Amino acid sequence: MKLPIRYNIRNVIVRWRSTLATIIGVALVVAVYILIQSLAAGLEKSGRNTGDPRNLMIVRKGSTAESSSQVNRMQLQTIQYLPQIARDADGKPLISADLVVLVSLPRREGAGEANVTMRGISPKGAELRPQVRLVEGRWFTPGKREAVVSTKMAQRFANTEVGGVFKTGGQELRVVGLFDGGDTAFDSEIWMDADEARSLFDRENYSSALVRMTSPEAAAEFVKRLESDKRLPLRVDPEIAYYSEQTRTSKMFQVIGMFLAVSMSIGAFFAAMNTMYASVGARTREIGTLRVLGFRRRTILLSFIVEGAILAGIGGVIGCAVSFALQSLSVALGWQFGTMSFNTFSEVVFQFRITPQLAVQGLIFAVLVGVVGSLFPAIRASRLPVIAALKVV
Amino acid sequence: MSIGTFIIKNALRNKRRATLSILSVAVSLFLLVFLLVTLRELTLPPEDVGAALRVAVRNKISIANLLPAKQLPAIERVPGVEAVTPFTWYGGRYQNEEGMTFAQFAMDARKLRSVFGEAKMSQPEYEAFETIKDSCIIGKVTAEKYKLKIGDRLTLDSTVYPCTLTFRIVGIYAGTTDDRNMLFHQEYLDDACDNAGWVGMWWLRVSTPDDMPRVIAAVNKAFENTSAEVRAESERAFQLSFISMLGNVRVLIGSISSVVVFTLILVSASTMSMAVRERFRELAILKAIGFRRRELFAFILAESFGLAMAGLLLGAGGAWLLFTNGKIFAAICFGITAIIVGSSVMTIVRRHYSSGVTGLLVAALVARIGLWAFQNPTISKMTNGFFITFEVTPKIVGIAAIVAAGLGIISSIAPAFSVARMSVVSGLKTLD
Repeated sequence: MKLPIRYNIRNVIVRWRSTLATIIGVALVVAVYILIQSLAAGLEKSGRNTGDPRNLMIVRKGSTAESSSQVNRMQLQTIQYLPQIARDADGKPLISADLVVLVSLPRREGAGEANVTMRGISPKGAELRPQVRLVEGRWFTPGKREAVVSTKMAQRFANTEVGGVFKTGGQELRVVGLFDGGDTAFDSEIWMDADEARSLFDRENYSSALVRMTSPEAAAEFVKRLESDKRLPLRVDPEIAYYSEQTRTSKMFQVIGMFLAVSMSIGAFFAAMNTMYASVGARTREIGTLRVLGFRRRTILLSFIVEGAILAGIGGVIGCAVSFALQSLSVALGWQFGTMSFNTFSEVVFQFRITPQLAVQGLIFAVLVGVVGSLFPAIRASRLPVIAALKVV
Repeated sequence: MSIGTFIIKNALRNKRRATLSILSVAVSLFLLVFLLVTLRELTLPPEDVGAALRVAVRNKISIANLLPAKQLPAIERVPGVEAVTPFTWYGGRYQNEEGMTFAQFAMDARKLRSVFGEAKMSQPEYEAFETIKDSCIIGKVTAEKYKLKIGDRLTLDSTVYPCTLTFRIVGIYAGTTDDRNMLFHQEYLDDACDNAGWVGMWWLRVSTPDDMPRVIAAVNKAFENTSAEVRAESERAFQLSFISMLGNVRVLIGSISSVVVFTLILVSASTMSMAVRERFRELAILKAIGFRRRELFAFILAESFGLAMAGLLLGAGGAWLLFTNGKIFAAICFGITAIIVGSSVMTIVRRHYSSGVTGLLVAALVARIGLWAFQNPTISKMTNGFFITFEVTPKIVGIAAIVAAGLGIISSIAPAFSVARMSVVSGLKTLD
């Protein structure tokens, strides 16, 4: 006969004084695990979100970042009239030659500077990136020293609000609009006119080119055409693939999250073990009584393991709740995090993004701590000799 | 029996609980020390001996923008400047390796000794590096990691320049805080990669530290309103600018971690006070035979304080050993493994199978940690070169000690109060 689960639940509640600390401990382990992993998820999501499935991205072979890539004008000439490229209503090819330059800008709170990705786009550049929407002001006028900034970067860097003027390359740039990148990598960028950027930064070449294909078949043909041309040392990737590969920074967060979770759960594991041992010790007589009533050893073993799992499970649920609460709080208050991306060497902004998967992982983590932590106390409980147990005063 | 033995016997009479309490305190304090050191390393990176005399000059737009090579004579003319070398990031990838490997920079080989004097090599190595155009030198750490030696060839694909270069290793240097970089000739880069006229940065050495502010101002001024304005700064300021780039993630991790450590400590405190709560009846007896409240409080305090200090010794001491001398840490781990294995075998012989097996499992875990520490005896090996030094400073040990002491006191307060308040009769009646 099994012991009812209610018995375990009531036990956990009745001894709240000794179980509370363990529950809090497990809850925190779970919350920290979920939060740090959700930062990695947020970073990855913004990478994976980026790009239009119809677009191809062209960079120099061997370059690992757009800012160190070069596409010269001769190469562009060759590319831009290829028939696979889609055209707009006026018959102009949908291609944007971009210049990507890292500029060092002062932070808003006055705490040092950081590299920011400045992207000079050609007239078709915004049209090719439908994820980006203007939310304030207007787009820059080609040929003028004007820039539009992502709303997220505008919160982080000085003088990047609409009407603000910031200095780079010895020249002043006026911010005329703010855009929303829709949780993509473009949220970490500042845009201006490509040719204006080339003159401002004294660059002859562009960094990359983005092209819209007429169809997936055309895209395959286009890739073949470019790769077979030995005169073009270029690499072509689907735009989405190009950005989703940039995950080096999120790996770092995953490692940190894992390390903290493992070392903290060792601490929580000791605490759970102690609580369960104390619980077994205090209930010696009760266990003896159960045995006399006819409950078997393995029933008692199972029952204690279930109790440990419930104990830690409650902690896990609280931990999940805490992390979700923190996420909503961060959304409500508009918190965002920024760090240097190891791929682009410039600031990326991102938010917590708790996925259901992470929450489930956190819960499993918690229950595991509970089960393992209660295993030995449970074995001890199941092995208590009946007579001795009953004799304990 | 003296009072001291009484306290020790009390603390140890439930050996399992004492061990678990000490271990959970130790884990918390280990984590605390680890996080404090990490934050310290992130905010204060190690400094080279020659740093006080070095100035870094980068493009004002950002470090990723190049500088024209023709700036050299204008910098050399600045009074107080002793030597100038270009310093150009090559961004080479070694054997298709992903992620962090080692950095390579193109420079003026003849200026190595004057600008980066702490990179020590033998005289023939210096001479070979200075004269052979396609030569390179590598740091000792990199040489060991990839088993490279003098005379080897090294081929690197650049992610920055459209070329692949092959170098001859002519020297292996040591003596900087981070002996990992590879240095080669700027001229080789210029010729082989068709890169005439551009360098990544300038590094210069000034005659005296007093010249530093003046030189920095003069270099900045020299290129004002040109197409390539520069930002000259001391090596320290240059390093700190990287830290600013890490952004507020540092603060985030710091705050999450401190909350965590705080809570783990509360958990351990509660476990420790549990031990006292279970002993109510006994304390009531002590009260009945005439011990005062003060004395009972002293007993409880001494016990929990002792447990906390044992945790401190294990946690902070373990962290210190692990970060400074992995080999000794490993040796201690193996010693503990041996002891646990011995006692577990004895337990199994006495037919306490479950505790015996637990012991063996714990022993295996300790041995595994020891093995890992043995294979990665330095912090740069453990973190794959992310941290070069990982110094457990006296201040950090002090913080850990204060936390442990606080933990010992806090965890004795609650039970001490209830003991003080309880009447002897009700104490005697307590069942568990």
